[in-house]
Amino acid sequence: MYKLHLILKYLRKRRIAWVSLIAVTLCTAMVLVVISVMGGWLRMFEEKFHGLSGDIMITTSLRGFSHYQEMVDQIEKLPEVVAAAPVIEAYGLLDIGRQKRDGVQVIGYPIDKIGKINKFIDSLYFQHQQYVEAANQPGASSVQKAELLKQARDAAAHASFSFSPLDAATRADLAKRQQRNNWPGMIVGSGVLEIRKDRNGDTVGRELFKYEMPATLVLFNSQAKNLSDPSEITRRAYWIADDSHTGVYQYDGQAIYIPFDIAQQDMGMAAQQVTTADNRQLTQPARTHQIHVKLKAGVEPLAAKDKIREIVDNVMQEARRKDEALAAPLSWTDIVPKVETWRENKAMWIAAVEHEKILVVFLFSMISVVAVFLIFCIFYMIVVEKTRDIGIIKSVGATATGVAGIFLGYGAAIGIVGGGLGFFAGFIIVSYINEIHTALGRWMGIQIWNPEVYVFDRIPSQIDPTEASIIVGVAILSSIAGAIVPAIRAARMNPVEAVRYE
Amino acid sequence: MSNQTILTAANVTKTFRMGESVIEVLKGVDLSLNAGEFLAIEGRSGSGKSTLLHILSALDECNSGSIHYDGRDIAGMSPKGRCELRNAQFGFVFQFYYLLPELNVLENTLLPAMVQHSVLSFRRNSGALRKRAIDVLTELGMEHRLKHKPQQLSGGERQRVAIARALMNSPKVLFADEPTGNLDIETGRQIMHVLEMLHDKGQTIVMVTHDRTIARQTDRVVVLAEGRLREVH
Repeated sequence: MYKLHLILKYLRKRRIAWVSLIAVTLCTAMVLVVISVMGGWLRMFEEKFHGLSGDIMITTSLRGFSHYQEMVDQIEKLPEVVAAAPVIEAYGLLDIGRQKRDGVQVIGYPIDKIGKINKFIDSLYFQHQQYVEAANQPGASSVQKAELLKQARDAAAHASFSFSPLDAATRADLAKRQQRNNWPGMIVGSGVLEIRKDRNGDTVGRELFKYEMPATLVLFNSQAKNLSDPSEITRRAYWIADDSHTGVYQYDGQAIYIPFDIAQQDMGMAAQQVTTADNRQLTQPARTHQIHVKLKAGVEPLAAKDKIREIVDNVMQEARRKDEALAAPLSWTDIVPKVETWRENKAMWIAAVEHEKILVVFLFSMISVVAVFLIFCIFYMIVVEKTRDIGIIKSVGATATGVAGIFLGYGAAIGIVGGGLGFFAGFIIVSYINEIHTALGRWMGIQIWNPEVYVFDRIPSQIDPTEASIIVGVAILSSIAGAIVPAIRAARMNPVEAVRYE
Repeated sequence: MSNQTILTAANVTKTFRMGESVIEVLKGVDLSLNAGEFLAIEGRSGSGKSTLLHILSALDECNSGSIHYDGRDIAGMSPKGRCELRNAQFGFVFQFYYLLPELNVLENTLLPAMVQHSVLSFRRNSGALRKRAIDVLTELGMEHRLKHKPQQLSGGERQRVAIARALMNSPKVLFADEPTGNLDIETGRQIMHVLEMLHDKGQTIVMVTHDRTIARQTDRVVVLAEGRLREVH
């Protein structure tokens, strides 16, 4: 009983120990914030990038690879696979209403299929997000919420490049003036249209006139040898069907999405008739840059990857045999696509952050060692200062173990209280980190989080319960560790010498 | 006072090393104490009275010889056994009171009971233990100071609290090391009254003093000189 009683007394009365408490609190909060932001970044990276790609990706260079449709057909027959779709990724020049010209990343999606493979459709504002945002408004009743979420699902199920957020009269007027009936639709990243959050967190820049402006996209032929030759360049007018906010700065600020077949055609990757040197008319097969494959839940990606690689190899071998039979290199069979899991595809990014996280954990471990040393020094001082009290406690029958227990328990109490306060402080900081960052920017002009560098437009703000428990646990253990030597010294004291200590 | 011997010391020696030199403080002390007896150990400053008291009360160890309490050899006991003895059988009053400054009067008095009981056991018996502490403090005239901290008390009051703490676990033997040595004459007299009152109730007391007047108020006086004990009366 005396141990608990004295620990609680010392915790309240010994102000010098509050220095240890503050050190433990600050260390815990600091490590929790850093680990949460970095771990959250990794989680967000996995979630967002995985959400925008398949589980398995078949990729190659900008020239692309052929016979993709045979591959898609065979891959979709695998029991592990939900769907597979070809994707074109290239770069182009975009002109919106002669007011904004920029280089963009062009992604060609078969939109009717891409919803089965990734979460791109969920990122469309008019065809999904506007209903979700309305459902999440504080005033929405549960009935309204359910209705709006149903609308969001319906809109996403019918998402297309033919959509327009404009009303019918405006559309008809524009069709008359711009002859845009034959234009395909384009979805642009929200940043391309300069849609952003203002200081109060409200979305600004989504004015409808932007969707009235014609957008012209210039694409280069994937086999272009001479870019000054006008026949190597395709210029096409589009209307803006929707905008996409994925949360990934790289996509939202630079990417535009167009129909897969249009991208294929404008990049010279569609099937085409060619005349061989010996005057034979042959069909050169269509190509794509990538195939994204969605696996069923619970399927091990590495095992599925092997099966998919086997299909890709067989299709390419078959194509090569046909090529040889034709005695003409039409099938691009010299290009061997790479089959990877999405994680392997993004390994460079993930590994970089994981290494950085390890480095930061190491650096903070060093800081924690300093905190342990601080606790040791303070506890040593307390033990010296309390020498007479230790003698008194021993004189009334306390054992050496009991006396050691007072100081170890005191260390543990500082760890528990400091770790708890640190967790609370870290939790508040992480939960409001974006608001804190915005406020710092507003008051002091400081911008720590640059979305161009860190990929996402918001700082990750989620705490992993396992990581938080480990951090608090280590804080408690470190505090006990700091108290071990002083506790041993206290335990070994002779009661007579201790009470006579001056 | 009964004739039953409760504590005996036989040929007890104690030496201290001071740098290169060795000081032999106790050179074969023999002593026996009867239950209910009030014994004074008298001697000049530095004669080794406190050292002998510490050894008798299991606070310190002797170099040779034996000390038997209730038939058990204290010198041969484990450290834990000595702790149990100090907690349950002996009470100790220091010259300079030695109260814990963070605890109030009641908590200081309860300290030996807190050492004796686990958290659960203390909580279970909390009422009885608090009553016992308050009863002891009331007996010593300290019932009006229960919530006061030691630094808010006078010297005499602090010594009463120290005596209350020593009596908390109803010890068989109360050891007092110069209990009046740090007090004025009047307050010292009051403390002696307290000890006499306890003795009258049957408490066995061993007191160390250098004051012959104080020593004469006890049943028996032994003088420690040259490392050996001599019976006076």
